Amino acid sequence: MSDQVGAPTSERIRFDDVHLGFGRGRQRLEVLDGVGFTVGAGEFVSVLGPSGCGKSTLLNLAAGFLRPDAGAVAVDGEEVRGLDARRGVVFQQYAIFPWLTVEKNIAFGLTLRANRRPTAEVREVVARYVRLMGLEGFEKALPKTLSGGMRQRVALARAYATDPDVMLLDEPFAALDAQTREYMQELLHDTSRQDRRAAMLITHSVEEAIFLSRRIVVLTNRPTRVHEVVDVDVAWPRTPQSRHTPEFVELRQHLEEVMRSMTLRPGREPREKEHR
Amino acid sequence: MTATVRRVLLPLAGIALALAAWWLASELDDRTPGPVAVLGVVGRGLVEPDGLLLDTRLSVLRVLIGVALGATAAVPVGFALAWFPVVRAMFNPLVSFFRALPPLALIPLVIVYLGIGETARISVLTYAAFFSAVIVIYESVAAVDDLYVRAGLALGATQLELFRRVVVPLTVPQLFVAVRVALGVCWATVVAAELVAAQRGLGAMMQDAQNFFRQDEVYAGIILIGLSALVMDKLVQLAMARTVRWQERVAR
Ligand SMILES: Nc1ncnc2c1ncn2[C@@H]1O[C@H](COP(=O)(O)OP(=O)(O)O)[C@@H](O)[C@H]1O
Ligand SMILES: [Mg+2]
Repeated sequence: MSDQVGAPTSERIRFDDVHLGFGRGRQRLEVLDGVGFTVGAGEFVSVLGPSGCGKSTLLNLAAGFLRPDAGAVAVDGEEVRGLDARRGVVFQQYAIFPWLTVEKNIAFGLTLRANRRPTAEVREVVARYVRLMGLEGFEKALPKTLSGGMRQRVALARAYATDPDVMLLDEPFAALDAQTREYMQELLHDTSRQDRRAAMLITHSVEEAIFLSRRIVVLTNRPTRVHEVVDVDVAWPRTPQSRHTPEFVELRQHLEEVMRSMTLRPGREPREKEHR
Repeated sequence: MTATVRRVLLPLAGIALALAAWWLASELDDRTPGPVAVLGVVGRGLVEPDGLLLDTRLSVLRVLIGVALGATAAVPVGFALAWFPVVRAMFNPLVSFFRALPPLALIPLVIVYLGIGETARISVLTYAAFFSAVIVIYESVAAVDDLYVRAGLALGATQLELFRRVVVPLTVPQLFVAVRVALGVCWATVVAAELVAAQRGLGAMMQDAQNFFRQDEVYAGIILIGLSALVMDKLVQLAMARTVRWQERVAR
């Protein structure tokens, strides 16, 4: 039935009692207040939480853009100290380079010193991801001529092309229309399922989290902790029909209820004023 | 159809209107030569080998050399200011000061050190081009979208790779803008510099013409300066449109 049964044997990403705030003095904003969870090898984990609770901050920690104030962030047992091409990142905004064609965007990482490949191999990898992401015929197109969905497929291809050990995705489909978003979720599911790469997806969409993930880490409002970790018992692999199964619908109801309660009751500690 | 009207006929109508107003003014005021007389001076001047053509060539050449030297020097300096916080902290106040200083204010000083020859004029123009271009380049690098920087870093780019392969391409359109700004400042400066100290050149020509009450030549000088500046600006715009086709919002 499934590609992989039970708990993952080894962990790839580990957040260990992570604390992080921004600013100092009266401007100080405590964001992460002891967040801990793991992403196993080959596992797809979503991080779900209300807006502003620090989801992007978590991803920035895993990517190496930020360092925690306390606690530890480790990938493959190694503390994250800075950026590393072994961790692929896809951003919410279309971060593909506007001055490069589709194929040059995809090849970008492979032409950097950190992961340089022979030209023939670069061509092969680019061709593979052009095909996987359905970008045939657009190899020479400039980003300004592409739709939002296609731009994000280029961004996915570019991140996959360097063959990172883990994928970090920060609300990659949030800016897309509903139909394109579902299609992109299916595309991402098929791609990540086939290459069994560990992935951490940031999202505020319950539907997206359930559809794509083995497990969902639900965060609280700021100062943020893990509210609960949910195993997604929806048959694997997921198909468009998965969205209508009882397990899916039931979990969606539960998580939507949790998300709603957090929106209604902002702040883990009621005394604290909402910082804006 | 409507596109042709908008792009060709309406601009022509605007020019015709201006010429008509000019002609009317020349009829009413005898200090003002008419368009026909002035265009005649321009036409004759451009045929004579030693006439207006020489003045125009000299002015254009001075501007070109000034912009070429100044803007070229501005590229590394602008990038260094934007990229290295230490360089910025050290030199930003100085750059701001010299940029705020009108280049013409330096002429008395330049005359003392460099005389009134070509070196003196080119120096002032280079100065004018350099400081106007440096600011544009510096600001364009500073305004590079952090998103692309982060994307480049996440793909494994080193600082040098990030600079060469992300920052520079993003800044190229602004380099053209820098050249355009430098051209504008240099035209303003060259005319004034020639008015003060030059044998030939459009500014000097106009100064002579005014001394001998040849109003038509003054008008001819104004037209040639305007046209030369306009043509150079358009050429840079054209080069920019050809070079940076990737931009979402293509400059018109
Ligand atoms: N560099 C920063 N400086 C100051 N505040 C920040 C910074 N980055 C994020 N924040 C704040 O931290 C909180 C969490 O941000 P973020 O991780 O982007 O939330 P989200 O869960 O919506 O992705 C927000 O209130 C945001 O304003
Ligand atoms: Mg976010």
